[in-house]
Amino acid sequence: MVDRPLDETELVEQARRGDLAAWETIVRAYQGIAFRTAYLLGGSAADAEEAVQDGFVKAYRALGRFRRGAPLKPWLLRIVANEAKNRRRAAGRRDALAVRVAAEDRPGDAVPSPEAALLAGESRRRLLEAVERLSDEHRDAIACRYFLELSEDETAAALGVRRGTVKSRLSRALERLRDELGEMP
Amino acid sequence: MNELELQLVELGRELDVPAAPDLAPRVVERVEGRRPFPWRPLAVALAVVVVAVAIAFAVPPARGAILRFFHLGGASVVRVETLPPAVERSQADGLGEPLTRDAAERRVAFKLVLPSTASRVYVLGDSLASVVVRAYGRTVLVSEFPGRGEFLEKLVAGRTDVERLQVDGQPALWLEGAPHVLQYFDRHRGFREEPILIRGNVLLWVQGPVTLRLEGKLTKAQALELAHRLD
Repeated sequence: MVDRPLDETELVEQARRGDLAAWETIVRAYQGIAFRTAYLLGGSAADAEEAVQDGFVKAYRALGRFRRGAPLKPWLLRIVANEAKNRRRAAGRRDALAVRVAAEDRPGDAVPSPEAALLAGESRRRLLEAVERLSDEHRDAIACRYFLELSEDETAAALGVRRGTVKSRLSRALERLRDELGEMP
Repeated sequence: MNELELQLVELGRELDVPAAPDLAPRVVERVEGRRPFPWRPLAVALAVVVVAVAIAFAVPPARGAILRFFHLGGASVVRVETLPPAVERSQADGLGEPLTRDAAERRVAFKLVLPSTASRVYVLGDSLASVVVRAYGRTVLVSEFPGRGEFLEKLVAGRTDVERLQVDGQPALWLEGAPHVLQYFDRHRGFREEPILIRGNVLLWVQGPVTLRLEGKLTKAQALELAHRLD
């Protein structure tokens, strides 16, 4: 008989019973998205690393309060996001995000003309600068929904607000971005 | 998604985000170094008095085959093949309401024999009273519940040793080894708490009309000495 891989619910149950190997598996599965979340919300790699570590340690200790059968990812991201935002508040600032230098050379893309690449790069930089000028609430909503590509429900869970609040924050943030970029809705 | 939303998604994929380091070993090391405080789940579990065989058999799919059954006062200890899922919760979630000793006695309707040095008595439901005390440099949770009835059920699996003892001539049980699971029931046998994972050693003993439960990182000799002093 071949052992089948444990599903997430089984891993959570094993971790609840103190099985650290199960928790390690969960950490490895989610540390990528958790680190990205912490970095995008907090803006510092060092702080993001601490936020993820602290978040997973706190999550382990809070497993007793995790509702059985609920999706794990939004719950974990909420804990990590809180850690990241706390550090951001404590620091009183957040480092600006940047676009990858090699963004124009993504594999699989058709090679753009130098002019087109320049225009695309400039467009991305303008958009990112506009996002950075948003309020923290609006920027966090944009980061979770679009940069992290979370669903609205996951965004709501990660930010600890209701789905309706996410929708209204996104709507206002998009409106603000259009105004800044001079675009038509 | 509209055009702006699609641009934002595209932008997100092109952001210069450092690669995530492998944090799993450090997380595990920190969790391992500070395992959940053994008294905390216990405290929650304080509230736990054991249940009877009938209840033990009532939910067999959750625990596998029942291998052996011990009954002591208001508690039962059931040895099973596999432990059911259980939660670990903070002490604050599970100790119950902090009351004065007099108020606690009125609530549980029996005279408390718990150490009087504790300033507050926590009462869970209508039948489980607990105090947290220090002994042998350790935090110890002592609980008291009616000696007749079905209040607490402990589930143990293979790596937990269950030994029959006596405390001042009264029957007692000593549980030591791997974590076990505790569940509390009220006087009406309604489930009051989810099964709780307990990591500390436990001494259960009968004292007159009540059953007492002591949990902590104590040796058997220390637990027996403490129980003797409570008598």
